[in-house]
Amino acid sequence: MAKYFAIIIDEKRFAAIKGTSLEEKIEPIFGGALKRLVIEVPDELGQKTIEQFSKARFDARGFIEETPAAFKRLVFKKIVELKSLSPEVLEKALEELPSIKEEIEKEDRELPVPDVDISDILELQRNPVQKPTQ
Amino acid sequence: MQDIRIKDLPPPHGGKLVERVVRDPQMAWKLMEKCSAVYDIKPTLHYKTGAPIRNVYREIMSVCYGFFSPVEGSMTKAELESVLDRRRLLSGWVFPYPILFDISEEDFKKLGVGPGDWLLLRLKGEPFAILEIEEVYEIDPFDVATRTFGTPEKNPEVVKVPFDDKHTGYVIYKSFNKIILAGKYTIINEPKIRPPFDRFWYPPKKAREEFKRRGWTTVIAHQTRNVPHTGHEALMKMAAYIGDIKPCDGIVVNAIIGAKRIGDFPDEAIVEAHEMLHLAGYIKPERHMVTFTLWDMRYGNPIESLLHAVIRQNMGISWHMFGRDHAALGEYYDIYATQILWSKGIPSFGFDAPPYAVPGGFYIRPQNIAEFWYCPKCKEFAYSENCNHKGIYSRYSGSFIRGLLNEGLTPPPEIYRPEVYKVVVKWWKEFGYPFNNEKYLREREERLEVDLPHMDMPEHLKKKIS
Repeated sequence: MAKYFAIIIDEKRFAAIKGTSLEEKIEPIFGGALKRLVIEVPDELGQKTIEQFSKARFDARGFIEETPAAFKRLVFKKIVELKSLSPEVLEKALEELPSIKEEIEKEDRELPVPDVDISDILELQRNPVQKPTQ
Repeated sequence: MQDIRIKDLPPPHGGKLVERVVRDPQMAWKLMEKCSAVYDIKPTLHYKTGAPIRNVYREIMSVCYGFFSPVEGSMTKAELESVLDRRRLLSGWVFPYPILFDISEEDFKKLGVGPGDWLLLRLKGEPFAILEIEEVYEIDPFDVATRTFGTPEKNPEVVKVPFDDKHTGYVIYKSFNKIILAGKYTIINEPKIRPPFDRFWYPPKKAREEFKRRGWTTVIAHQTRNVPHTGHEALMKMAAYIGDIKPCDGIVVNAIIGAKRIGDFPDEAIVEAHEMLHLAGYIKPERHMVTFTLWDMRYGNPIESLLHAVIRQNMGISWHMFGRDHAALGEYYDIYATQILWSKGIPSFGFDAPPYAVPGGFYIRPQNIAEFWYCPKCKEFAYSENCNHKGIYSRYSGSFIRGLLNEGLTPPPEIYRPEVYKVVVKWWKEFGYPFNNEKYLREREERLEVDLPHMDMPEHLKKKIS
């Protein structure tokens, strides 16, 4: 059974593939709220990929998920270089895995906190409906 | 004409709620005087990595506060075999998992206890509970792990591949010490639940009192180990349309709180994100309650669903939502294994019929739900058995959403309510990381979910410590 590896296409990534044949392959998801490119890979390559990362797994949709963000960046780099969504992209990225080892290790320890104003939810939490009763 | 309205909460599993919590200090003192040894509870460490993966204190809490009724303590050898062979206690009531107090050979020798002795268990340096030792025996942790979850050969209906070390629950049992002290637990020093969990602490007796106070007789449970995405929210709302002459009075979220796998969300974010659904007005708080149970999740899909039924029926809940991949991890089980169990049974696990239709089974009824997805054409979080817009709808995936966060992307409102995402960010700021990582799990294991009030001990036990 085939497995899938998806790369979310944000503005920066879109700029890198705009005007190429890859642009046509972008799929909208969640009503266009997100966009992605999908690589279809044989089961064996999917298995090999998840074995490289402790948290990685196939989800219920058959997608390879919870790989490090650094690996996704590397896969996207390979997509741009090869101008392709073939399994070869993933194979090449796996070959270069040692080059991002430190980035991956760092990712397990820290991820930058998004700059988001959360004052509205803190206000809501100030008077919770459920209160401690012990 | 027959009145079809449901007027009472279902009875506890086993007929009577277990409550083994002593609140009278004098009684606690008397019980401690009968103890001959003291043992400081230690976390179960991963047999390879040494990371904390379970703490038996959570099981003691769940037993003594009645979540696991009719179980009253650590299982005897005969009870363990009965549970592993046919998922039944010796009394005949359905129960899925071994509940065991395991101890290392070295600690056992140091304690010098045996059947008939009482053991004082300390937590965070304070007296916590008593174990009345009835039996001491040995297990083969690998055998217990394998038989707990099943194998493709013995359970071909639902087990697809053999369990391995990537499965958190399997590793928990595999990491058990070999020596088991069996016997009843009694909490003698009631712990204080720490914030933010304290406002979600509803042990079965208290949950039933709260349901009665709210006038609820029809309640549906939502199992969670996750921050709710809009698909979860749709599931809760739609599943709750079941009831008697009107939809359910109450939707109860019961989060499983304990050591979990690396990469899951911190429990603090899970309970508060669910609470945010009513604080931000997506479900009225009059109809929605967030609660939790202490348990180091085993990710046992159909097996775990049986424990969920035990817990939630004991809380007074009449229906239970079961979705695809219920309490699952990886591809070990069929993604609909829980629904197979709750629609026709799994004979190899001891169920020739669904668990509500077997002797010793449940009053709680399943609400087997296929899947919700986001469909821009339906313009709703659509039920998969309704929406036929293939190629247009998008399926949810918790792993996918965690991947978005990992990449620093904000999940759109089609996936997370903005307020729910902000709860994730709140705890991300607090812990410096959005998910469970080794640092979080280590610190969490020291902190636990409770604090123990100071309690003095009889002199003969103090001497045992020194």
